[in-house]
Amino acid sequence: MRRTVLRNVAIPLLSIGLLLLLWQGIVVVFDVKSYIAPRPLAAIQAVTDNWGLLWPLILGTIRETIYGFFYGALLGFGFGVIMAKSSFLHRLVYPVLVLSQGVPIIALGAPLVLILGFGVTPKIVIVAWIVFFPVTVNVLAGLSHVDKDLLNLARVYGASRWRTFLQIEIPASTTPLFAGLKIGATYAVTGAIIGELASSSSSGESLALYQQHANSNFSTAAVYGVTMVMTVIGISWFMLVVASEVLATPWQRRTVARRSLFHARDDVNAATSDQ
Amino acid sequence: MANDLLQLRDVGKSFGATLALEATSLDIEDGSFVAIVGPSGCGKSTLFNVIAGLLKPDGGDVRLDGELVTGTAGHVGYMLQKDLLLPWRTVEDNITMAARLTRRVTNDDRDEARRVARQYGLGEFLRYYPHALSGGMRQRVAFMRTLVTRHPLLLLDEPFGALDAQTRLEMQQWLLQVWKDTGRTVLFITHDVDESIFLSDRVLVMSPRPGRIVADLANPVARPRDLDVLTDPQFVALKKQILHLLHGGGG
Repeated sequence: MRRTVLRNVAIPLLSIGLLLLLWQGIVVVFDVKSYIAPRPLAAIQAVTDNWGLLWPLILGTIRETIYGFFYGALLGFGFGVIMAKSSFLHRLVYPVLVLSQGVPIIALGAPLVLILGFGVTPKIVIVAWIVFFPVTVNVLAGLSHVDKDLLNLARVYGASRWRTFLQIEIPASTTPLFAGLKIGATYAVTGAIIGELASSSSSGESLALYQQHANSNFSTAAVYGVTMVMTVIGISWFMLVVASEVLATPWQRRTVARRSLFHARDDVNAATSDQ
Repeated sequence: MANDLLQLRDVGKSFGATLALEATSLDIEDGSFVAIVGPSGCGKSTLFNVIAGLLKPDGGDVRLDGELVTGTAGHVGYMLQKDLLLPWRTVEDNITMAARLTRRVTNDDRDEARRVARQYGLGEFLRYYPHALSGGMRQRVAFMRTLVTRHPLLLLDEPFGALDAQTRLEMQQWLLQVWKDTGRTVLFITHDVDESIFLSDRVLVMSPRPGRIVADLANPVARPRDLDVLTDPQFVALKKQILHLLHGGGG
């Protein structure tokens, strides 16, 4: 257990630390001017000094990321299922989905603002727009590759299509589903920032515009600091998705199932009936 | 006739222009163990899929316990060379899979799963995930899953085909024990002539192009059988007969 913690936590932290050290080293050794690139600590300080101002903006970006991710994941899952189940709908829907990914996201901002206003909605739409596609592609692939013999076995047992879907097809697709969700998670924050750039009205309203404002004021440390904050949001969200995959797929790491409350009760029953 | 669990009448199946299974009639006695041997493409699996209800035959009737079941599923236990265990389910939950696919799993289902698992050497693995088990153990789980469906007829399509020779021998003896305890009727497809004789009361020999049953042989080898029967004169004579039917020449 201690070894696992060391490997999974300490080593990644070490590599991030080394990266910051490298950054510091380059700035010092090559004597980079602070308006070109600040030292890491200065960037962090630019964030902590303005925390009161930044925190609501950070919460806003997190909210857009999470809502957009969930709507996108749900939509992506739905499209994947629909296309896996009907070749007609597959042919009908797929070109439109591919087309949607061909649209330059940044160009969506203006029309979305016209339709949805300057609020949080257009940002959520942009995040969902980016997130749904990898989920759809992976769910479609997962559902299409479920073992045909297993599906036949379910038919021999007299299983309904609905139960076969819930009990076999969905769990058999968890790995590709999470592959799609992880790709979506890495894009989600980028989507939120693009959304903020493309559909915000004033500089005080969003993290992205705060950064733009800092840039035009030559507050380079703040630009870097806000970028770090955005990165941290992105990584945290990705890690949450990874953690939920670990929780949702215990069979991929465990040999013996954890005792659930439900089964514990059953075992008590079995023990009493044995006597 | 009254004791026949399964009756096929003129059941045939074509795929396009290919006659996969010639119109076949067959009676399987309740409680018997019938082996089917034949080369690839002789229609063994087509025959199974018709009986299981996965395929609708071009013509003819399939009756199970007197009831017409042609082209409908949900009447038999069915097991393949691939164990098809669900990796995300424990051994216990894999055994109750058929119940989970058709209705709510009850405590009775779970008790029954535990009981058969304990009785046949899987008791300590109930909470294991399948990936942690050996090939032989996995096939035992797959067989238990087939058994708890409570269907009187079990269709086993080369269930031990992927196992090494030693494990296979163990599994054959184990299967005979379970068969004797439970009184089920077994139809067992195999490539292995020794296996077909060692296990069965009766051997059906099939031949390809078109797929058909070319011989229906009673197995005279006395039960219970141990490894010595492999050199029993009756065993050897039957084996010779089957080999000639499969490969031509001689007999």
